Amino acid sequence: MANRVIIVDDHPSFRATAKELLIAEGFEVVGEAEDGRSAYKAILELKPDLVLLDVQLPDTDGFSIATELCKLNGGGPIVVLTSSRDAADFGPLVGQCGASAFVPKAELTGAALRAVLR
Amino acid sequence: MQRLTVAAVLGLGVLLSAGALWLVLSSVHEENPVFTATAFMIMAWSFILGGIVAWMRRPDNAFGRLMTAVGMAVFFGALGAANDSIPFTIGYAFGGLFIAIFIHALLAFPRGYLETKLVYGIVTTAYLILTAGSFLSTLFDDVADNCPECPANAFLIVDSPTAVDVINTILVIAGVPALAASLYVFWRRWHAASRPIRRVLAPVYVAAGVTLALLAITLLVGAAFQEAGNVLFWIVIISFAAVPLAFIVGLLSGRLARAGVGQLVLDLGKPHAPGELREALARALGDPTLRLAYWIPDTRSFADIDGNPIELPEPDGEELVTMVEREGRTVAALIHHRSLEEDPLLVESAAATAALALESERRHAALAKAQARNRALLDAVPDLMFRMTREGVYLEFKGPAEDLAVSPDQLIGSCAHDILPKDVADPLVEGIRRAIDTGEIVTGEYRLELDGRLRDFEARIVKAGEEAVLIVREFTERNTAQAELERLHLELQQRHRELEHERDFAGTVVDSTPSLLCLVTPGGYIVRFNHSLVQLSGRRDDDLTKGNAFWDVFIAPEERELVRQRLLQVAEEGGSGEYESTWITAGGERHTVAWSTTPLRDDKGHPRLLICGVDITERKEHEAELRRSRARLVEASDVERRRLERNLHDGAQQRLVSLSLALRLAQARIADDPEGADRLLSQAGEELSQALEELRELARGIHPAILSDRGLGPALEALAARSPLVIDMTMVEERLPEPVEAAAYYVVSEALANVAKYADASSVAVSIARVNGRAIVEIADDGIGGADPTRGSGLRGLVDRVEALDGDLEVESPAGSGTRIRAVIPCE
Repeated sequence: MANRVIIVDDHPSFRATAKELLIAEGFEVVGEAEDGRSAYKAILELKPDLVLLDVQLPDTDGFSIATELCKLNGGGPIVVLTSSRDAADFGPLVGQCGASAFVPKAELTGAALRAVLR
Repeated sequence: MQRLTVAAVLGLGVLLSAGALWLVLSSVHEENPVFTATAFMIMAWSFILGGIVAWMRRPDNAFGRLMTAVGMAVFFGALGAANDSIPFTIGYAFGGLFIAIFIHALLAFPRGYLETKLVYGIVTTAYLILTAGSFLSTLFDDVADNCPECPANAFLIVDSPTAVDVINTILVIAGVPALAASLYVFWRRWHAASRPIRRVLAPVYVAAGVTLALLAITLLVGAAFQEAGNVLFWIVIISFAAVPLAFIVGLLSGRLARAGVGQLVLDLGKPHAPGELREALARALGDPTLRLAYWIPDTRSFADIDGNPIELPEPDGEELVTMVEREGRTVAALIHHRSLEEDPLLVESAAATAALALESERRHAALAKAQARNRALLDAVPDLMFRMTREGVYLEFKGPAEDLAVSPDQLIGSCAHDILPKDVADPLVEGIRRAIDTGEIVTGEYRLELDGRLRDFEARIVKAGEEAVLIVREFTERNTAQAELERLHLELQQRHRELEHERDFAGTVVDSTPSLLCLVTPGGYIVRFNHSLVQLSGRRDDDLTKGNAFWDVFIAPEERELVRQRLLQVAEEGGSGEYESTWITAGGERHTVAWSTTPLRDDKGHPRLLICGVDITERKEHEAELRRSRARLVEASDVERRRLERNLHDGAQQRLVSLSLALRLAQARIADDPEGADRLLSQAGEELSQALEELRELARGIHPAILSDRGLGPALEALAARSPLVIDMTMVEERLPEPVEAAAYYVVSEALANVAKYADASSVAVSIARVNGRAIVEIADDGIGGADPTRGSGLRGLVDRVEALDGDLEVESPAGSGTRIRAVIPCE
């Protein structure tokens, strides 16, 4: 069964490339969002298995959305934070926000996401 | 003594004589009436007449009156010849009273009064014996025992010969020592008396002494042998009667002495040397102690023949003074022995006789005194004096010999030309001649070299007969002192001028310095303040301000207490203080002033505090602005860094991430889907090109490389080429310092960006020029204007950047008239 994924990023070129990569890797990309507000709405509607969530968004940041998703009844989707920056640039925030993993954008692969899903 | 008194006394004497004669001659119990009457008359009248003579000569002397009283008292004795009981008894009891008065008179001779307690005692004893004692004896003496014919004793109480003997013995015991004491007194007086007074005393004392001695013997013998006593009593009476005679003999000897006045007349007729007059007068008056005091009218004092002053003796001493006058003027005073008081006529006649001669000698004494005074004056004059002839020959000199040009021996007899240089001697001799010829006082000054140094002299030449007297005074020291005084005066004037200059300078500095100066008392009260403080505070340095507390006038209310404490502390502990306070003007404007206090003293020495302040309000504002500017620069820098990070992150980095993903995806497809891989690689190439362009743009935004490499001109041309605006560019040719070029570049860059964004301008003029070491950067557009440099960070950041290089940036942007930005940046 294909894993249902929503990509949240404000850069269209990244969303497009990532979508093509994940589809090529066997994922089902069920939705995209360019900011926090639309992302939250899409997650509640589409109930994906995994959310590839950019840390830096125009209206909020990925840590806040991850924290909110963790509070959903029955548990929210698996949240994988991503950023063109290194995880070390964010300190403890990555571990504290409830996200399952952090994958740098340049290292994004289907295998990396599946490792989280397992 | 008045003639009337004499007549009255004589009349009384005659009456008493008549009564006495009647009593004696009619007495039935008097054995020898004629003899007794004769004795009474001799005794009484010798004393009455002698007394009157003495009374007339010395009316103020009681001796004459006492002698007269003795004579009158003798007549009491005549009552003892009365035939009636009461007069007889009175005469019997008090007949000896005249003896007591006689003793009194003798002891009062010659002064007329009793002098010592001893003499008083003798006289009192005599009166008691011969009155009370005799009366007591009479109470027990039945006279009939010795004189059966005599009338009865009217005072008889009891006939007691024993009582009478006892009483008489007691009286004798008391009387003899009294008489002996009298003799002692006479002896002592004789010894103390001078020769003239002995001449007067001698006859009286001899007669009286004999009388008293006989009286003492009579008392002693009479007590033992009644008859012998009676005989001796008569002898005593005769001796007694001789006393007035002795007095007259003494008087005569005085009158004989007046014969000396005749000799005086003869003596005065001869020429006599000064002083011989005193000898002649002393001989004439019989007083070798005589002194003459001549009246000197000039000094209104007495002097002797040599002009020496004489003080006249006190009137109660041994010497008396008789003034000698001539034609109503005092000529001299005779200072003679008191004994001559007995014969004032002698003294007066001698004085009158010698008056003319005394006048002559007085003049001599006055002259001597004047000479002595003149000599003393001359001796007191410190100047050199010379007596010189008309020809300039020195005759005499007075003064210190060390002030002479030659020795005194050489000087006297020499001519001025022999002693003095010609230029001094010529005018000197000429001056002497002129003084002698005209009688004027000639004065002149000259200078001589004495003892190796030049000395200044002043000469005054005075005519003295046919000679001249030179009075020479040295004034070298005076000249030196005067020169020194003038030098000191000039120095003082110079110092005064310097002080005035210093004062003016200080005043100018105080009033022109921008510092705020205020002088206060140690209590903080204003004394005065300078022009700068007047200008700053808007208060005048007048009486309304002076005397008020400094803090009340100049300090903001909330800081007054603090300033008051600090000032008083500095005033009390000394030293200086530095503070920063808010000062307030009369209009309420506040200034930040940095001020200090310095203790000093004013021109009167009063302790003061000088408050010296500097208005740092502007500096403070600049500092605040600088701090704000720095903060803005830091903030701008942060913003720029954030922008760069964001741009990198959002731009090139994202494209590179996508590129990375695309390459991996293409790599995965290249075997199975070569077309898909090719498409992905083609997209990746475009993505890479855009990423590179974004990086170039970004780098250009950080710092245009062309600015560093080629300078401001090419950089601005490149900027203009990229701008959508039509730009008229005027450039400076030479390179400017790198920071200045950077600042100018960003000013133009930002200005052009603003024009493009907001100005709606059709053209822009950019001008870069270098004028007087400053870069002038101007950007002017023809847009809508209304730009506000205080709003937005762009222009504000430019201002900070320009001011960081000590430059200024002005923005003129009236609405509707375009915007003109002008930056002036120092290039040195």
